[in-house]
Amino acid sequence: MKELQDLAQLLEQGQSQKVLALTQQLVDSGMSPQTILNDGLIAGMAVVGEKMRNGEMYLPEVLQSAGAMKASLAILKPHLAREGAKPRGKILIGTVKGDMHDIGKNLVCIMLQGAGFEIVDIGLNVEPQKFVTAITEHTPEIVGLSAMLTTTMLNMKTTIEAIVAAGIRSKVKIIVGGAPVSQKFADEIGADGYSRDAVLAVDKVKQLIGHTS
Amino acid sequence: MNSRFERALNCEPPDRIPFVPAIYEHKAWFVGETPSKVCRDQKLFTAALLAEYERVQPDVLTVGIDVYNVEPEAAGCNVVYYEGDNTSVPAIAPESVVFQGSEDIASLKMPDPQKDGRMPLNLEVAGNIMKLLGKEVPIRGALSGPFSLAAHLTGLENLFKLMFTHPDLVRELLGFACEVIKRYGEAFIELGCGVVVFDSQASSDLISPLLYREFALPRTRALIEHFHQLGVRNVPLIIGGNTTKMLDEYLETGANNVLCDVKADGKEFLHKCSAVRRAFRRNMDSTDFLTISSSDVHRRTLNCLEESGGYAGFILGTAILPYGTPLSLVVAIRSALQEYKRP
Repeated sequence: MKELQDLAQLLEQGQSQKVLALTQQLVDSGMSPQTILNDGLIAGMAVVGEKMRNGEMYLPEVLQSAGAMKASLAILKPHLAREGAKPRGKILIGTVKGDMHDIGKNLVCIMLQGAGFEIVDIGLNVEPQKFVTAITEHTPEIVGLSAMLTTTMLNMKTTIEAIVAAGIRSKVKIIVGGAPVSQKFADEIGADGYSRDAVLAVDKVKQLIGHTS
Repeated sequence: MNSRFERALNCEPPDRIPFVPAIYEHKAWFVGETPSKVCRDQKLFTAALLAEYERVQPDVLTVGIDVYNVEPEAAGCNVVYYEGDNTSVPAIAPESVVFQGSEDIASLKMPDPQKDGRMPLNLEVAGNIMKLLGKEVPIRGALSGPFSLAAHLTGLENLFKLMFTHPDLVRELLGFACEVIKRYGEAFIELGCGVVVFDSQASSDLISPLLYREFALPRTRALIEHFHQLGVRNVPLIIGGNTTKMLDEYLETGANNVLCDVKADGKEFLHKCSAVRRAFRRNMDSTDFLTISSSDVHRRTLNCLEESGGYAGFILGTAILPYGTPLSLVVAIRSALQEYKRP
């Protein structure tokens, strides 16, 4: 449908005001909010992710698109709730203890939200016990751990150990990422998945959610 | 004076390839303390640099531990330090930005390098090291680049948004950042030190070459030109990440030594840098240095050195050495350097 293609394209271009207006117009026309979300917003963000992966879009442009998506979602959310629509899954994410870097984590949140997942972002410099408490409270399917530094990546292991000690390890899949992190390191610390960038994180989460459902 | 580094910067064949590992938080390990403690104590900081020189034998020493924090802290941002035995690297608290986007930039605090934040401490350490080692090894003060400082003053995501919504304001903020860095750099230069500019927030891992050209390049070029006019010919510009796509812009800054980080294309750097006679530092991966063996590091070093192609402007570097990197790995790198025969 042309309007949905237009919505996806405007989103890709980061044109918040136009995305907002078109979303409202489509809602007013009686289109299903789930259709608008899936075939407009999520489709648009998929293109953004692909362009980012290919080096055709960079973080500032991606943030523009994410801002447009956020504005549009604010319109859609009450309608989605009335329709009983559910997100594709819930992801709890945070930067581990001792690490104040959040740009990578935020980018992963943007791409996951853009792919239709619900995000619980518990921030940066997060103590292992806070992850445990948040998992118990929010019951996510996936937990994302982020670290930017070689010193703090070791706290990913500590965090996983705390989750194991709390007896809730089997209830979640754990994915790790960040500049110094590798698949080898992820395997060593007992994570279920690793992603080297935000776009691939979406694929990994989809794969892990598939395994859990 | 160690002229090996200087010769490489001039693209004249040195006796061997210079070794410039990235040692920041790991400095603290040499004196058995945490980065948070050492970066706030001039005696410990001086002792850490002396220990680094003695044990690692780098071909240049850099005064800096948490290099991106010093200027923003002096301008009013808060730094989170860690107490006890926590070896995390201090960082700017994200909520402590000094520019939200609506303030008058003229009202921002222009730091005095002799008074504000830890600028005086870093300068004191530089002065100490100049007296002790200045005749043996080049000493340089670590400076933020304009784009990275602007990112810390207003928050990286906000800076990215303002680039689209208020580009003129971003240019003004970059001008302010450039002035802060000039003054801090001048204070190092007055002590007889060199300077090195770090600007990894302007990496093409984050922003496009187009945005770099539009926003970061003019101020960076002006900053480097300013230091040239003060008689500092060698001004390295360190931008981490895969910067292959923006190498042309990178070289246009006027820096005579650029970084080819782990994920960047070594062949492309060799091709372009040798064409314009600029030195480049090739980083080898060090993220796994807490778990890897000396023989693996030795092999990795030789592989990295092979990328030099015999170019006189090639400098061997590492990504940031993790806190606690065993000395045996550094010995392995040095051993490979001695063993390597330039083609």
